[in-house]
Amino acid sequence: MGIVDVRDLYYTYPNATSPALKGVNLTINEGEFVLLTGPSGCGKTTFCRTLNGLIPNFYNGDLKGEVKVAGMNVADHTTPELARQIGLIFQNPDNQIFALIVEKDVAFGLENLGVPKEKMMLEIDWALKMTGIDDLRDRATHELSGGQKQRLSIASILAMRPKILILDEPTSFLDPIGAERVFNVLKTLNSEHDITVLLIEHRVDLAAKHVDRVVIFADGRIVNNGPPEEIFTLDETRLAGVGIPKMVELTQRLMTKGLKFEKMPLSPEAFIKQLDKLLPKKGIKHVQPSLNAELDEFINEHMSPVIEVNDVAYTYPSGLEALKGVSLVVHQGEFVAIMGENGAGKTTLVKHFNGLLRPTIGSIRVHGENIAKKSIASLARKVGLVFQNPDDQLFSESVEEEIGFALHNFGFKDEVIAKRVDWALNLLDIERYKNSSPFILSGGEKKRVALGSVLAWDPDIVVLDEPTIGQDHAQKERLIHFLMQLRTQGKTTIIVTHDVEFVAECKPRVVLMADGRIIADGPIKEIMTNVEALSKASVSPPEITKVFSKLSRYGCPSDVLDVDEAAYIIHRIVEANT
Amino acid sequence: MSLLEGLRFTRGDSVVHRLDPRVKFLMTIVIFVAAILFMKLIPLVVILVVQLPLVVVAKIEREWLKSLKGGLFLASVIFITNLISFYFFQGRVLTTENVELALTLTVRFIVLITSFSIFFLTTSPDKLSLALEKARVPFEFNFAFITAIRFVPVLADEAQSIMDAQRSRGLELDKGNFLGRLRKYIPILLPLIINSIRRSLELAEAMESRAFGSTSNRTNLYELSFNFRDSLVLIVSITVLALVIYLRYFCPPIPNLFPPGRIL
Repeated sequence: MGIVDVRDLYYTYPNATSPALKGVNLTINEGEFVLLTGPSGCGKTTFCRTLNGLIPNFYNGDLKGEVKVAGMNVADHTTPELARQIGLIFQNPDNQIFALIVEKDVAFGLENLGVPKEKMMLEIDWALKMTGIDDLRDRATHELSGGQKQRLSIASILAMRPKILILDEPTSFLDPIGAERVFNVLKTLNSEHDITVLLIEHRVDLAAKHVDRVVIFADGRIVNNGPPEEIFTLDETRLAGVGIPKMVELTQRLMTKGLKFEKMPLSPEAFIKQLDKLLPKKGIKHVQPSLNAELDEFINEHMSPVIEVNDVAYTYPSGLEALKGVSLVVHQGEFVAIMGENGAGKTTLVKHFNGLLRPTIGSIRVHGENIAKKSIASLARKVGLVFQNPDDQLFSESVEEEIGFALHNFGFKDEVIAKRVDWALNLLDIERYKNSSPFILSGGEKKRVALGSVLAWDPDIVVLDEPTIGQDHAQKERLIHFLMQLRTQGKTTIIVTHDVEFVAECKPRVVLMADGRIIADGPIKEIMTNVEALSKASVSPPEITKVFSKLSRYGCPSDVLDVDEAAYIIHRIVEANT
Repeated sequence: MSLLEGLRFTRGDSVVHRLDPRVKFLMTIVIFVAAILFMKLIPLVVILVVQLPLVVVAKIEREWLKSLKGGLFLASVIFITNLISFYFFQGRVLTTENVELALTLTVRFIVLITSFSIFFLTTSPDKLSLALEKARVPFEFNFAFITAIRFVPVLADEAQSIMDAQRSRGLELDKGNFLGRLRKYIPILLPLIINSIRRSLELAEAMESRAFGSTSNRTNLYELSFNFRDSLVLIVSITVLALVIYLRYFCPPIPNLFPPGRIL
């Protein structure tokens, strides 16, 4: 018997026509670290909520089957009673922090349980130490960064000493460094304190190497369940629309070419270890990788500049200096990714492009004209800005109206609007929702409506702020495809992101920002091998590039980004040396 | 808005910060009552002079000045409308007494702003809630109060994001007539309301997961400690209150500061 035991679990939300869970069976043993993944809307979140009794205590609905946690039958206990056994941590850190001061928030659960003050102090000390935020103890909660907030959420649950931690996409809003810190905290809790961890996550690249077991969820069922080395190589996993760690993809590619690996590596370090076994210790024969000259290397310098940022500084009314002298030129038809950790000034910079923010010092030109005197509305016609969270803009009764909103604002004629709306619906593959309310759509679909509502007026320049946040593997693939389409249409596209694997796949020009300045700017291959600039911007290179940074002794180039190229080079080297 | 700025708690530490919130509240009330009872310039200036050292000891000069700056407009309105109304209602005559009275009302306004600034700037909402708890206010109300304060910055950020998104879609808030403008706030208010509903659901889930309401014997990390200094302030406050009442009702009236005379 495991610490979590789920038998034949079926659940239907109130007023829903089809069940969200369709016969789930799962046993988790004490001390395991389990990764649960699957496409958006597959029932992962619903499943978590059955484990601590939020379903059916809080949500009602129709539940069949049995859920046992730490020997307790969940149906017989309330969520607060279960809180001492099982702790649930949610996606959005802002919506689970209650107090104004860090230590007071950690105390919240203990206060609710009626723990005496002296005991409470001990638990708070321990929980803050475990999550590595003991130095933030007296800070105001709203001043913390996203990553710090999420570690506080973990500390606040941990203080109640649960035996099991469940985390529902805890790193969606975090940059890679913040996410890595969260995963490390979980790893320590699991291995040194024997806490069972169930992690729900789309970012399999970062999570896979830490876990003992992977459970693949699809359409309300578990489709696969086993050690990560095995699960990620199965076809069912791929078919379920789940992302595969890059190292697994690379190794599989090499295996089909006849190379033999003893064990499936999940991290760049593990991959190199395996590769070293395949190659002789000494006397390596180098091969010249005869790759064709990269087309991406061309920066469209002969094209006219569309956005010129001249030595711009911006200070928020609060006194925060977000930009400290930024200069940047984007040319017609270019595809640019602005990268850097949260708070580096990326979003502040792009908000200058359509006049939402006006530089404190310096000037901005769009299509060669200084925009200081232009209204936001007139600039927005040329520069379409799509924000991170579609919930911050959807308000209409139907998707059609939502997409037409901007067109009405810009004074388009009705028949033009109808045509443009249809065009945008078609472009983003959401025609079938034309008359539905935007609020009933899934997260990915909402994102597409938000995108369509901007693309509808056909702006010359499209700026996407964090387009991949909270998106599953399939949505990301779709987005890449879509960006390529924009590129072939000659649109100038700028994305703001910290998703390095996504950038590695689209291969844009990369602008790295740190602390309100641009610290590197160039073709992606150049930037992803610039170790110094990357670490300054707290961006870690793509997994494949991490591998190649260690393969120079085999005569490999270090600027390899994608799996195909990597497999090609490694295959040739191994062949030449055996 | 900057008037309210002066009332927002910023973390700090001083003798005033450490006072028991109940005692501090009493102190504020005493100043408030004194300011309301006297309609003469001399005692109000005296009260203001007494308040200034408190502001300095609490190290809140900057925030206090900020709220004064915010209140400046209102203070000038009070002063000028009083002068104008005296001038016209008395048949185009203005005496020094009128000026003194207008000045008195203005100083009273400043005294009131200052006393509330001292209280709110030096009392953390956590302590305030604790004081409410001690006053037997049910924890649910208390919790709602703290949560409201906690989410002010979050909601402000969200409102900003929504405005940015809609203005990027060509929404021009400052164009059109009054009704038209009001309608333009729909695309901003709707997402804000819907997000808040969604947020409240998520908050409720998180509260459940943190054992909210699992026992009626809730404990509290912070405790109010009533020490010697608090008793001292308590005694001083009560004495001052008695003194103020004595001066106001049992003594001859306080004279004006300016000699009588006609200005206009």
